[in-house]
Order: sequence, then C-alpha cells, then structure tokens
Amino acid sequence: MKKFSLIILLVAGASFLAVTGCQRGNNQAAAGPTIALVMKTLNNPFFIDMQLGAEAAAKALQVNLVVQAAEREVDVEKQMQIIENLIQRKVQAICITPSGSREIVPAIVKANRAGIPVLILDTRVDEVALAEAGGQVATFIGSDNFEGGRIAGEYIVNRLGGLGKVAILEGIPGHETGDARLGGFRQAIENSPGIEIIASQTANWERDQGYNVFQNILQSHPEVQALFACNDMMALGAIEAIAAAGKTGEIIVVGFDAVADGREAIGRGTMDGSIVQHPFEMGKLAVEQAYQLINGQSSPAYIPVNIELITKENLN
Amino acid sequence: MVPKDFLSHYGRQFGTLIGLLVLMLVLWILTPHFFTVPNLLNVAQQTSINAIIAVGMTFVIITAGIDLSVGSIVAFSGVVLASVLQAGLPVPLAIAVGLGVGLLSGLVNGLLITYGRLPPFISTLGMMSVARGAALLYSQGRPISGFSESFRLLATGETFHIPNPVIIMVLVYAAAHFVLTRTKLGRYTYAIGGNEEAASLSGVNVRLYKAMVYGLSGLLSGLGAIILTARLNSAQPIAGVMYELDAIAATVIGGTSLMGGEGRIVGTLIGAFIMGVLRNGLNLLGVSSFVQQTVIGSVIIMAVLIDMALKKQRT
Repeated sequence: MKKFSLIILLVAGASFLAVTGCQRGNNQAAAGPTIALVMKTLNNPFFIDMQLGAEAAAKALQVNLVVQAAEREVDVEKQMQIIENLIQRKVQAICITPSGSREIVPAIVKANRAGIPVLILDTRVDEVALAEAGGQVATFIGSDNFEGGRIAGEYIVNRLGGLGKVAILEGIPGHETGDARLGGFRQAIENSPGIEIIASQTANWERDQGYNVFQNILQSHPEVQALFACNDMMALGAIEAIAAAGKTGEIIVVGFDAVADGREAIGRGTMDGSIVQHPFEMGKLAVEQAYQLINGQSSPAYIPVNIELITKENLN
Repeated sequence: MVPKDFLSHYGRQFGTLIGLLVLMLVLWILTPHFFTVPNLLNVAQQTSINAIIAVGMTFVIITAGIDLSVGSIVAFSGVVLASVLQAGLPVPLAIAVGLGVGLLSGLVNGLLITYGRLPPFISTLGMMSVARGAALLYSQGRPISGFSESFRLLATGETFHIPNPVIIMVLVYAAAHFVLTRTKLGRYTYAIGGNEEAASLSGVNVRLYKAMVYGLSGLLSGLGAIILTARLNSAQPIAGVMYELDAIAATVIGGTSLMGGEGRIVGTLIGAFIMGVLRNGLNLLGVSSFVQQTVIGSVIIMAVLIDMALKKQRT
C-alpha cells in the first residue's frame, strides 16, 4: 500500500509542477506593470470573450495580465479570496466583474487601503453599500442590463402587435444582472396593456433547466406566444422544448448575451433575437483604463458599452 | 398467483409510493394541466436522467459508500462524446466512447477506494473536482453544440409513443432490479454494505465488487450524459452541477439507508419521480422561485421522516 501512495504522490507532484511551470511561462511575458482581471467565472463564453479583449489590450500596451475567476458564477466568497491574494501579490490595478453587488464591497475597500485602483466591469456595485463602507471605484465599464431588458420587451411588444401572452425565464433570484434585465423587460410590458405575463419562473441560468421549466410552462399555458429568457442558455434549452412540442416557429423567443449557439439558433430561425453586449470591448477598455490610471491619468466614472438587439436581419 | 413474500418484499416501498400518489392527487386537484398524458410523459422524460444516475447511486449507497462525482462525470463524458461526434465518429461508436469515459472515471473511483483505501467521500469528492476540471480543460470552457438527427433521436425520438429517454430509463431499472435481486453482484453489494469484514471473511472479493459498483455508477453517469447531450443538442462543461445531490436525494427518499446494507431499486425510481413530479407541479402552479427550493427541501426531509416512522412500526 505504501508503494501505491508513493506513486500517487509522485504523479500528483509532477503534474503540479508541470501545470504551475506552464502558468509561469505565460505570466512573465512582459516587464511592464501587472493588471489583474477577476471575473465571475472562466467557463461562460461571455467571460471568455471578455478575457480575450483584455489579453489583446494587454499585448498592445505590453502589460502583464493576470486573469482569475471562481469556478462558479455565484461564488462571491471565492472571488473575495482571489482579490485578497492579488492585493498581497501587489498588482497595480484590479478589474472586477462582481459576483455580488453588495458582497464585493469589503474586497474593494481592502484594495483601496492598499492603494490599488479598482475598476468594475459588467455588473454594477451597490452604490449605497459602497459609500457606507467608504470604498471607492475608479470607473464602471459596462452595459445597462435594464436597458437591454427594455429593448427585448419592446421588440416582443412590436412583434405581437401590442396584444398577446408572454412567459419569462428568470435567472437565479437575487442576481443584480438578471434582476435588471427582468426589471427592464417588465417595464416595457407594463407600458402596453394588451400584453399579459402569464408565467415567470426561474431556470437558474441553465440550459437543461430552461428545457424542463419551459416544457412545464407549455403544459400549463399552451397559449403562450412569446418567451423572454434572461440569458441565451435558458433560451436555448427552451427552443429544444418548443421543438419537442412541435411548435418551432410558433413562439417568439428572445434571449440575452448572443452567445455563439444563440447566434446560430437565430440564423436557423429557431430563436428570434438576443440582446448583445460587447464583452470583448469591455475587457479591452478595462485594461486600457487601468493602464491610464497606473500612469497617473484619471478616467471617467462611467464608460458605457453599447447594448443592442440582434435578429436574423442584423446577425452579422 | 401472488408469491407469498410479495408484501414483505415490496412493503418497504409502500410509504414512498403512497407519498408519490398523494402528491399526484394534490396536483391533480390544484391544476387541470397536471394529469394529462403529455404532461405525465414530460415528467417521466424530465425525471429520466436523474433516475438513471440514481441507479448507480443506489448500488453505491447500498455498499455504505457515496459517489459525489456523478455530476462532474456527466459533464466530462458529455464534452468528450460531443467532440467525437463532431469529429465524425459513427453514432454507436461515439456512444461507446461516452459510456467508456464514464466507466473509466467510475473505475478510478473504485480503485482509489479499494486499493488506495480512501474513504468513498474523499475519493469521489476529489474526482468531482478532477472530472469537472477535465471537462473545462477539454472543451476550453465552451459548450459543444450541434449534432446529427440520428444521434438526437436518442432523446427526441419516440418508440410506441413513449419518449426514448423514458424507455431507456425503464430498461435500466429492469436490468438493475434483476442484477440486484438475482445475481452475485447484487447479493455481494448488500453483503458488503451490511458488514464488509464478514463479507470478506466469507470469501467475497470485496475489492473487485466494490470497484465494479463504482464503475457502474460512472457508466450510468455516462449514459445520463448521452441523453442530456442529445436532448439539449449541446454538451456543456458546466452541466450536471448538483446532480449528485439530486441522485442521493432520490435514493434516500426511496428508502435506501445511508448506513448501507439495505435498499430497493424500485424505491429509488419512486424517489426520483417524487422529485420530478414536485418540480413539474411547482412550475405548473407558477410558484415563485423563492418558495420552490424550500418546498423541495422540506419534501425530502418529510419523505425520509415518514419512511423511517413506517419502518419502525413494521419491526
């Protein structure tokens, strides 16, 4: 048995060295300042695009870029640990996509105390909580999710001619991004009295749950004419449920984020539209702004990034 | 003729079966959309993946073990399966690859537990992280989507008007019931869970059969991955999060003891259906997201409490 443990230990040690060795090689490419980008997760296409944008800017400006994220999108505590470690590592600027609008505030305050500028991307920080804690954010770079939800709502209202029954697939309850999209959508619907929201359920951002939950909604409300899903993953699950019910093309489906699979579905006509943000642009702007801050220049408090609806007509 | 031991054999399941029937009755009264053939077929379809994974979990828990890695293995098998499908491998071969990845991951668990003498909780906890990381690495964090119609038929097709995933589920349960009640593997699974040392002393090759049980759990996770991938037309590296807890819940609601040595495969099927019916019903009723999770958790606790009370009464 000792032999077995020894082999395991050796294999584990060797692979650890191999992996960390590779990481080192990647990180110490340039001699300039080090900027950190802390994202919600590394396994969502949206954040992968953001990372690519940041990497492009880092390469152009010849700065070191450290990209880290928690494994799960809602793991605020893990994100906080990452930021604490980066402060210890003395990076010159930290760009964060907060996993929680309030929960991230203590981490921002810590960075402030260490004199490291903090840039916020994509998801806004709760301003009241930030002010109460005495924290400071150099700039916010992002799209207005509320506006995105409103655009989706207006599109559905127009397609239905102001009269019809609509269902919503919500994200994880209590998530700032999802709540803003939902709020914007509901506002657009409230402005047109002929439209009725007949079901609004969560599918927790996930594709398989989008399938199940919308299949159930189709059972209880077969008359549903349009669906707004707060992200594309849930919309993509829902269009498979629609296909299984033989109703493809009968229900208007609008998602959010315009991920690759979503664009393809729009091209095929199984999905009608998706709200697109520009994560690549966000990542690029973040590194550029961080670079300016490190060099003593100031940056505007809010840098809006375009948000728009794509449909089959303007897919490319 | 009904066999003499029919009642005592299936008596344990009555508590959970009654629970399921009451739940269905309540939903029937509350919403007209529940008790319809299409909706019941939907419930069966939505339950199938969890039910299939829970079969492996039942074997594992009967040996007094636990398998926390099933959700991650679903993701890993899924992305590997998806990539070989897209590389143009014929569907039967690709399915074999998907099952193979699941089986191998499960066997690694089995080896770590038997030859490495790790507690199942630790080794499968490690595998949960390793397989998830492998899925992310392999797919570079991106979903792999778009497969041929012939593959998708596995989940979207019907045979005799019954969705294929439901048929696969029924076949898996029939086979598992047979294995658990009529074969050496089944008898030894109970023996190991009842008293591992006694089993070993009476000549059971404990290591071999334990490794087989974890291999089976991995294999069925691979099968779950195949259905999930065909159903969604996409394999995602983040798929299957929390599936382990759903499978454990189905098993435990079904009357399998976490202490090992006892449990019935039919009970697990009923347990999986209780969870599936509940999720479906809460959607049909339009219950708010906040309330849903609380209700599901409470039902799990109540089901086990009632089951334990009934068992006490009988003995």
